[in-house]
Amino acid sequence: MIGLGKIVAVHSYKGGTGKTLLSVNLAATLVKHGKRVCLFDLDFRAPSLATLLNVTKKECWLNDYLNGACEIDRVLVDLTDRIRNGGKLFVALANPATEAIRDMSAKDRKWEMKALGRLLALRNSLLGDKSIDYLIMDTSPGLQYSSINAIVSADIVIVATTSDKSDVDGTRRMLRELYDLFEKKTEIVLNKVLDVSTSAGKEITQAKVKDIYNAPLLGVVPCFCDVLRARGNTIFVEEKPEHPFSRILDGIASQIDTM
Amino acid sequence: MTGQEALGKRPLQVLEKIRENLERLNEKIEVMIELQKHDHKDVNLPLTDAPLDVMTLLSMPDHLRKTAMTLCRLGRATADEISQQTRRARAVESAYLNQLVNMGYLKKERDGRKAYFYVERDGKG
Repeated sequence: MIGLGKIVAVHSYKGGTGKTLLSVNLAATLVKHGKRVCLFDLDFRAPSLATLLNVTKKECWLNDYLNGACEIDRVLVDLTDRIRNGGKLFVALANPATEAIRDMSAKDRKWEMKALGRLLALRNSLLGDKSIDYLIMDTSPGLQYSSINAIVSADIVIVATTSDKSDVDGTRRMLRELYDLFEKKTEIVLNKVLDVSTSAGKEITQAKVKDIYNAPLLGVVPCFCDVLRARGNTIFVEEKPEHPFSRILDGIASQIDTM
Repeated sequence: MTGQEALGKRPLQVLEKIRENLERLNEKIEVMIELQKHDHKDVNLPLTDAPLDVMTLLSMPDHLRKTAMTLCRLGRATADEISQQTRRARAVESAYLNQLVNMGYLKKERDGRKAYFYVERDGKG
């Protein structure tokens, strides 16, 4: 059964651009909008959702699903109680154990091909059978197998980028040489932006992004000290729903809902 | 079955065999035409079980990537089903699919008159 839900991959050229922050808070915002959401940690080289969401005891990891050792139902953790009022939140976590990271780094091309098949099958099992509205995939930065598998499986790719020169150059290359080749709908989120306090500043930023990337701009997220202070310990939009960061995520979620 | 009935069915079986062979011949001609169109750039030596992973997809010429990606999404499909997704002619998709089979990335099996293409991932389609 094919569902009407969407798969969204959150990717970037460089690390530290805010992919995990965006993924977690976008997933939480969509749940607050009443959606049934699955959040996947596909960053097998540096898993972070298990720590960030404080989930310790796990029978099966996303690694096991991709290895063909278990079905996706046994991987999903129901975290609906972390969000007051809304839809449903399930997460699938990457195993943070060093041995598991080493194991995932040593996979061959044939395994990666099978893993792509397992990810593509989620469209039926999650969006179809489980009526999930959004499957959000947090990925590793750059050209990693697991990330490209996620991009190929996705309907929409959100590219988190900063004003860092090497990140800008790399993101431009990926737009032309990765997302375009797979004919993916790509949306830019400019993160850690300075000088957007005025409306003139915002317009300049938007014009710059359009000029540089020639891709749609989904959102501009200023550099918020409050977000840094949270140190990745919390679901920010749930803790501080009235904060400007939460309102920006609200706008991003609403836009995605219309795509 | 009486001897007379068997004799009566024989011409039909022969005709069916001729039709099948003609279809196969037609597919081969389509492949040759497509290969010529692309100036033989994508002609690779036939391989067996070459993995169709994402890096391979990235390195493919655009026209083959589109077909391969569509098949990855559908799992198992005929040239006709692929052509409905890509909005290219069935004969063109048939040529690309057969080329991908020759390159070792796809498997092909016949079910009656239809030819199905698939990516072999776990020893089956």
